Amino acid sequence: MDTGKVVRMVINMFQAALLGLFACLASMPGMGGTSIGNYTLGRPLVAGLVVGIILGDVTDGILVGMAIQVVYIALVTPGGTVSADVRAACYIGIPLALIAVKAQGLDAGSTEAAALATSLGATCGTVGAILFYGTATINLAWQAMGWKWLEKGDTHKLYLVDMVLPWISHIICSFLPTFVLVYFGGDAVNNLLASLPMDGVPMKTLFAVGSLLPCVGIAILLKQVITKATDFLPFFFGFTLAAVMGCNLIAASAIACFFALINFEITSLRLKVDRVGTAGALTASVDDEEEEDI
Amino acid sequence: MAENTVAQGGERKVSKKALAKSFRNWYYGNLTCFSQEHMQTFGYLVSMLPIVEDLYEDKDDQTKALQTYSAFFNTEPQIGSMIVGVTVGLEEARANGQPVDDDTINGIRAGLMGPLAGIGDSLIVGTLIPILLGIAMGLSQGGSVLGPIFYIVVWNLLAYFGMRFAYYRGYKLGGDAVEALVGPNAQALREAIVMVGTIVIGAVDATWVSITTALTLPGGGTLQGTLDGIYPKLLPLIFTIFCWWLMAKKKVSPIITMLILLVIAFVGALCGFFGAATIATAA
Repeated sequence: MDTGKVVRMVINMFQAALLGLFACLASMPGMGGTSIGNYTLGRPLVAGLVVGIILGDVTDGILVGMAIQVVYIALVTPGGTVSADVRAACYIGIPLALIAVKAQGLDAGSTEAAALATSLGATCGTVGAILFYGTATINLAWQAMGWKWLEKGDTHKLYLVDMVLPWISHIICSFLPTFVLVYFGGDAVNNLLASLPMDGVPMKTLFAVGSLLPCVGIAILLKQVITKATDFLPFFFGFTLAAVMGCNLIAASAIACFFALINFEITSLRLKVDRVGTAGALTASVDDEEEEDI
Repeated sequence: MAENTVAQGGERKVSKKALAKSFRNWYYGNLTCFSQEHMQTFGYLVSMLPIVEDLYEDKDDQTKALQTYSAFFNTEPQIGSMIVGVTVGLEEARANGQPVDDDTINGIRAGLMGPLAGIGDSLIVGTLIPILLGIAMGLSQGGSVLGPIFYIVVWNLLAYFGMRFAYYRGYKLGGDAVEALVGPNAQALREAIVMVGTIVIGAVDATWVSITTALTLPGGGTLQGTLDGIYPKLLPLIFTIFCWWLMAKKKVSPIITMLILLVIAFVGALCGFFGAATIATAA
């Protein structure tokens, strides 16, 4: 295994409180709003930077955040159903993973560290879904008050309902769980990991599942974009660019944009032909094609 | 986007200040008081509040107008700014005595929120954010702060100005604004954007997923070596497609899929397919 230095990271009360505050801002529904809160502070990569700053190790924070980010690359919550909670994955998972990685003496950039971080982060994110339902349920109480105020014409109190009172829900469901778990959880995680030998089956399982979990994040995304078998081709194309041709992600994006541009030109042209066709100028064969594209 | 501004006919016009406040309230407050029962309804109410206060002088009229928006609302909040903008235009028309009633407004609102949620979820959450995150992770290799900073700056500029654009576009053009999102021209653009997203996610899979086997072959050499000879990164590809198959074809939930992977990891660790030692060499 790796020969990094074993460091016992301790989170003090002030740091735990700051992490709790960010948990309130970053969650869905969160007090930072959707754009800045959930979609910015609630992305594990950004949270890695934030946690790194709070705990005084920016580089390792980002590395750990990045590992967890792959699992949650496409966190879509259609109709408000949640399979993972970002506040828990980001502001409980990343600090605990950082502690665990350091306690194991792993290099944060290594594959084992990434696998360990992913396992811990995904566990927190999955169990944390309770926090999402908790917050949404407590918010019902403020909304009930809101309906009464609206009935009475007390319209300005709606600001209170939408932007102030939900802080109480978050103190209960975001701040306290985060504070308690990062303040006291570090020792628990360390003791648990210390009791497991590195070459035992539980530890190997932990590493293996950590390396497998990112596939779920990517598959969730694929599920959205793939409707027929040929939709797999752009995916394989991108995979090949990186795996075989050694393109990094910026190069792959540039190539992707180029092919998308060609595709855009062709589709626009085809749609133009279709429209002329339906206007009666062109043959019926064009119309047939139109039926197929949705 | 000043062209095509539809003159609203009457003398009452929502002030610039009220529009800006309404947009700010939506931009920040769309989901702050979320519940499973009412979702974004309260975010909608606070973003319509500055508008009705601006349009109606009488307190009772304000309350009555605002109560229109107490119907259930939920959409993708970024692209959904457009719907708020559209209803601002409708409310303005109603204040000018045009035949717009509660049912008209709520019918349009309910009719738009589904399609726009679909477009927003697939284009913004399912494509734009993963592309930006993919690039950001590329910039962050080795733990550089460049990646998160790139994401924070680019995403927030796009989100803020995109939402602003959608809001004002909705206000000025009404229902026609949505035409630009669902019409045939937009379809070509959507296909192109989804294509970029799919290619980038393929690259993310190959770059950031690292699954290797520790199994040694009877004739010497490792199974991993053989697999690499067939196609580099074959195992991440196989497991990704397996997860996709479980979720898309077998309708397994993400949580159950994760548990299935846990079982596979355990069995693999037991029989020596996965080992801590070779995970290290894969980096």
